[in-house]
Amino acid sequence: MDGAAGERTGAAHPHRENGGALERFSYDDGIVRMFVGATVVWGIVAMLVGLIVALQLAVPQMLNRTGFGWLSVLVNTEWISFGRLRPLHTNAAIFAFAGNAIFAAIYYSTQRLCKARMFSDLLSRLHFWGWQAIIVSAAVTLPLGISQSKEYAELEWPIDLAIAVVWVGFFGVNFFGTLVRRRERHMYVALWFYIATIVTVAMLHVFNNLTLPMVIAGAIKGDPVSGADIAKSWPVYAGVQDAFMQWWYGHNAVAFFLTTPFLGLMYYFLPKAAEKPVYSYRLSIVHFWSLVFIYIWAGPHHLHYTALPSWASTLGMLFSLMLLMPSWGGMINGLLTLRGAWSKVASDPILKFFVVGITFYGMSTFEGPMLSIKSINALTHYTDWTIAHVHGGALGWNGFMTFGMLYWLAPRLFQTDLWSRKMMAAHFWLGTIGIVLYVLSIYAAGLTQGLMWRAFDESGRLAYPDFVETVTAIVPMYWVRVVGGSLYLTGMIMCGVNIAMTWKRRPRMYDVPVYEAPALSSVYVDPPRPGSRLEANVGLGHKADTFIQGWWHRVWERMPIRFTVWVFIAVAVASLFEIIPTFLIRSNVPTIESVKPYTPLELAGRDIYISEGCYNCHSQMIRPIWSETKRYGEYSKPGEFVYDRPFQWGSRRIGPDLARVGGKQSHDWQVRHLEDPRQLIPQSLMPGYPHLLDQDLKFESIQARVDAMAMLGVPYADAVRAGGAERAARAQAAQIASDLETQGGYPDMAGKKVIALVAYLQRLGTDIHAPATPAVEPSGTAADASGAIEAKEGRP
Amino acid sequence: MSSERRAGERSDRSAPLMEHEYDGIREFDNPTPGWWHALFLSSVVFAIGYTMWYHASPLSASIWDKWRAAEVAEFARIFGEIGDLEPDQATIVKMMGDERMMAVAQGIFQGNCAACHAKDGGGINGVNLTDDAYKNVRELPDIFGVISNGAASGAMPAWQNMISKNERVILAAYVAGLRGTSPAAARPPEGEVIPAWPAE
Repeated sequence: MDGAAGERTGAAHPHRENGGALERFSYDDGIVRMFVGATVVWGIVAMLVGLIVALQLAVPQMLNRTGFGWLSVLVNTEWISFGRLRPLHTNAAIFAFAGNAIFAAIYYSTQRLCKARMFSDLLSRLHFWGWQAIIVSAAVTLPLGISQSKEYAELEWPIDLAIAVVWVGFFGVNFFGTLVRRRERHMYVALWFYIATIVTVAMLHVFNNLTLPMVIAGAIKGDPVSGADIAKSWPVYAGVQDAFMQWWYGHNAVAFFLTTPFLGLMYYFLPKAAEKPVYSYRLSIVHFWSLVFIYIWAGPHHLHYTALPSWASTLGMLFSLMLLMPSWGGMINGLLTLRGAWSKVASDPILKFFVVGITFYGMSTFEGPMLSIKSINALTHYTDWTIAHVHGGALGWNGFMTFGMLYWLAPRLFQTDLWSRKMMAAHFWLGTIGIVLYVLSIYAAGLTQGLMWRAFDESGRLAYPDFVETVTAIVPMYWVRVVGGSLYLTGMIMCGVNIAMTWKRRPRMYDVPVYEAPALSSVYVDPPRPGSRLEANVGLGHKADTFIQGWWHRVWERMPIRFTVWVFIAVAVASLFEIIPTFLIRSNVPTIESVKPYTPLELAGRDIYISEGCYNCHSQMIRPIWSETKRYGEYSKPGEFVYDRPFQWGSRRIGPDLARVGGKQSHDWQVRHLEDPRQLIPQSLMPGYPHLLDQDLKFESIQARVDAMAMLGVPYADAVRAGGAERAARAQAAQIASDLETQGGYPDMAGKKVIALVAYLQRLGTDIHAPATPAVEPSGTAADASGAIEAKEGRP
Repeated sequence: MSSERRAGERSDRSAPLMEHEYDGIREFDNPTPGWWHALFLSSVVFAIGYTMWYHASPLSASIWDKWRAAEVAEFARIFGEIGDLEPDQATIVKMMGDERMMAVAQGIFQGNCAACHAKDGGGINGVNLTDDAYKNVRELPDIFGVISNGAASGAMPAWQNMISKNERVILAAYVAGLRGTSPAAARPPEGEVIPAWPAE
């Protein structure tokens, strides 16, 4: 295109380039075409899996009706049960669909903004194929139950290593290499957002995924590790700290994987499609820096009312509120760029996608801070409201920005007209109606269930003491979601067809234009610093006024390394302000003497709980809210989780909280319920786990589990550490199996997985009443006991 | 930045265009909107104010304080006039006739017992509580004992750590009151038939 257009006025402006020799170059659009194809394919897969998990929550209540029994295949099959498939849906939507979309955007726009081909075509290909291999390995391991059970970080350590290599070694090196070799002196705002993305995602990924792999523990201690256990690992953090790290990661994965790269995408493709200048350069500076600095702090808002210390919770809320304007800065800059172009919006589906996408960004970033207000969060947390919130963001913002970009790119990449503009317009309307149906029904579901959980009747009883009543009430809305999701998926498929047909019409040989631009010379004189505009003679005032005119930022924009360092300092400093106190202040997690490590059998059962993805539907965190302690028992204390690696607090209660489920039902009830929940609770949505009653527990793997925990600092007795773990596990299993047989007649279960899981479930939340402390009455003296704990914590 | 403005070039809303251009993309030099500054600043001011109010002033109550206040109020509301209940026959019989207490107990039953004994006491994998046959109960205080300590190798869990004593007493009365009602689906009788509960 206009390779050297920016340089034409060089002579008139002494601070501009003095012009090196002209260089000829072309852009690598092949890699962009590859990422575009992958975006479409994985988009269809991610949304299809989403539709399946939506159906898995809608159909179970039909299973007991005659004629619908066959649907149990959808609900009760081991490899596609909800707990295993839901992580596949979220990972595919985030890292496969949105991931490939941002790579397409970055590879297309970075080359043009830098007037340079990507640093290395080989690294580009390694990045592409490496990323696709990671996605495929996720699609294989998650259904097999290989999972870290941390949301959006479920992939186990071998895949985590591959992600680090592909992200930093291939993508990062390629991107920064391109910046270094650029022929455009200053970096445009889109590139700033890409820098923030690459640096911060690398930091988040590495520090949230620090784990001890089972093979390493096994190798050191001489324990056998085989099969899927080779991929098994446990986080180096436990309980409260693990929860903090996870939501520092989880929140900022939304920030730096689903927000900053899409803002970069917006800053490039929106003015391109609208053919309008960006509304405000100044606003882009202010909102970029405030966004990257403030976002990092807000993670703890995912953990309000939990055992997280209250200072962290407060930081999470306040920084979320302060984040509203920095987020809206992006929305304002996007929407106001369209001033004077609204007639074009009315006729161009691409701009319509962008406008709706940016509008959803504005709504989600308003809703986020509101949901982070503690008292609002008390109602919405653990309900479907959160699900509606993220889908407003994912379907509206990420989806529609991606679609707008794909339709804008398709004719340019495939060098022919788009196959069908009508189909593109139809996609827009189907997608919009799909989002509206999805979010409205799921908001209603969230609000309904949240209000039912906290409702009391006039005599002070819970109005809906039976959890499943609150589920039955929202199943009709789950069906509306299925309809909305189907419409959105249909639109995605139409997009795929449209892009594929456009690709089919591509020319025999792509035209590869060659551009010319001078290389950056090593000599560059910045424009003179502006003087102060103040008339009064105040030294500091003059300095401040010069500073806020922002000339220094223009200097940074031509220094990618310095710029990157400052971005890293912004995100790292903000992180450390929260991480250091979380790990160092002892009173955050007061010790509870009666809380003891899990027995070897319980530990094995816990790993089954993790593997099946129970955390996807069950929290283990009773908040100090009256309706909640009434329903589930005494609220959870930080000291109860010191041996939980990883923590299992969960984020959504599709089923009831399990923090104190231990001892509430008989072993017989638990086994029957796991075999087929609808035997006992006809309206239950929970998958059946009949395979746990069939499959043998690998007792020989238990020693390695215990040894790994011991290496991480769990105080196991010497006898258990010195090879006694398996024997202890077998003895406990025999006892439980014998009780089970007496209670209800399941014979010979001692060697089965279900016994380990039941052992774990029956332990949950019981230590606080264990004999180490005298038995206490929950409503009478328990208040005093918890009061003593509060006093130790120094809580207000 | 000002030196970069092109004086002559004005856009539709008279904002100056920045001189730079990237791949054809230009930027206006519009100022950041005033309301944006105002709201951003007020969120910072609110943050400082909230922190001082919530963490440093005696005027605010923590979520744990509020929970404790709710617990004390609730206990006083339900048991305030009655005081501590003992699991003896007279108390249980008295409670069986106390409509308000039985409503409270029903809530406890629905939340904790119905999973195995069914909402109406007909029994699922826990025993039927509505018939005249009992496995571990011969007189009223035995019900309190079974609830507190469990029975049948843990088939019936022990609730003494999870439900307060007063609540277990009224729960025993509620369970006793289920006898003779007709559930929707009844498990067959288990154990021995025992005499009717005493009236006093």
